Amino acid sequence: MNHEAIKELLYKMADDQLILGHRNSEWTGFGPLLEEDIAFSSMAQDKIGHSLALYTILNDLGEQDPDTTAFTRTADQFHNTVFTELPNAEYDFSLIRHFLYDTAEALRFEMLGQSSFEPLAQLATKVRGELRYHTMHANIWVKQLGTATKESISRLQQSLEFALPYALGIFEPSPYESDLINDGIFEGEKALEEKWKKKVESLITQTQLQLPKWETITPHYGGRIGNHTEHLQPLLDEMSEVFNIDPTAEW
Amino acid sequence: MKSLDPRVNRLPQTGSANTTPKVPLDQFGTFQVFVQPKANKPFQHEGIVHAPNLEMAYVLAKEAFTRRFTCVSIYVAETRNIHVSVLTEGDDDAYDHVSEAAQEGKKASYEIFHMFKRGKQHQHVGTVEATNPNEALWLASKQLRTEKQVFNIWAIRTSDIRFTNQEDLDLWLTLPEKKFRDAAAYKGGEKLKTFLDASKK
Repeated sequence: MNHEAIKELLYKMADDQLILGHRNSEWTGFGPLLEEDIAFSSMAQDKIGHSLALYTILNDLGEQDPDTTAFTRTADQFHNTVFTELPNAEYDFSLIRHFLYDTAEALRFEMLGQSSFEPLAQLATKVRGELRYHTMHANIWVKQLGTATKESISRLQQSLEFALPYALGIFEPSPYESDLINDGIFEGEKALEEKWKKKVESLITQTQLQLPKWETITPHYGGRIGNHTEHLQPLLDEMSEVFNIDPTAEW
Repeated sequence: MKSLDPRVNRLPQTGSANTTPKVPLDQFGTFQVFVQPKANKPFQHEGIVHAPNLEMAYVLAKEAFTRRFTCVSIYVAETRNIHVSVLTEGDDDAYDHVSEAAQEGKKASYEIFHMFKRGKQHQHVGTVEATNPNEALWLASKQLRTEKQVFNIWAIRTSDIRFTNQEDLDLWLTLPEKKFRDAAAYKGGEKLKTFLDASKK
């Protein structure tokens, strides 16, 4: 089994979860209503948990321990898609990102349930309930606000159009696609992207939102090879602030 | 008004002489949340969420009330769909105030909940087939009343409840592992004691 290929897959999944988990956690205490504040914060916490599980698998494959991996790298060493690092701005964007990203994440883990790489297959089985809730939550909100008022529809529409090029960046092809596919580890980004588009289409058609034609959207690639926006480093600085006061502390 | 916080910029202007009608949906209604802590335990009332509809109430209730402790299933019902008996105290049993009610219309099933102690949560005790809420309470007094004193009774038409679907039962799969959400799991006292003991040496 090609370990470099597996590591590349694990790193991008783990970094996505860590960065988006941190971004979403920035809403804690600022959510639009108390119940949603709690729900969104819980899901952010789940994402950090997923990143820990993935960094632990990486650690078993010879990489640094999870804390070191999470807190000591600089922005150019991260493999998260740029989509996950973009600032929150307003809640409509965070919701649309939550919907577009988590739909992809749930599908990715569903596909990985059949992976020949046992640790990933086991993790996929374990987190399926959490991901079911994340997508249920995202779908219900997008359906609600995508049909509610003129303002909610137009704001979601604007965020959707802004988010889509970045969302397509989730599926940036890896140099190891054929290795992963041939070894039965993962069906590949292309297959995931096709499934994702179908899911997104089926939800958006239940709302008054308009999905632009896929071929008119240029995917924003680069995150997977460390090309990030100016937004990532400040996030990392803030996230690792406490860790860096005393990196050897036992918690 | 210009602020870095977008919510501040959305606040209404103050000092205007004109009145404006209150916008609909600026306040959500309430929904009652019931939690089943273990597979063999009855559902019990856990609290309230605000939401624009039953589906959203269900989704928000899941995190608001089942982040910690154990849970295998939840359900929610709109507050206005809960039919409440008289509240009693002392030796007075709520069922003693329930009078015979006439059958009117079609039968439907109603879920019945008892409050066994003042200030405690209502617990699900069973289902009756009745044509209206009053008849449901009357039938409950015949079918579900036991020796145990009841201080308050709720009846909810089964079809007004948003239950957990069979395929969603794995929503709580990883809950037992989330000890980090419980302050006690950090064993702060124990750690402090170890630290103090070590520093004495």
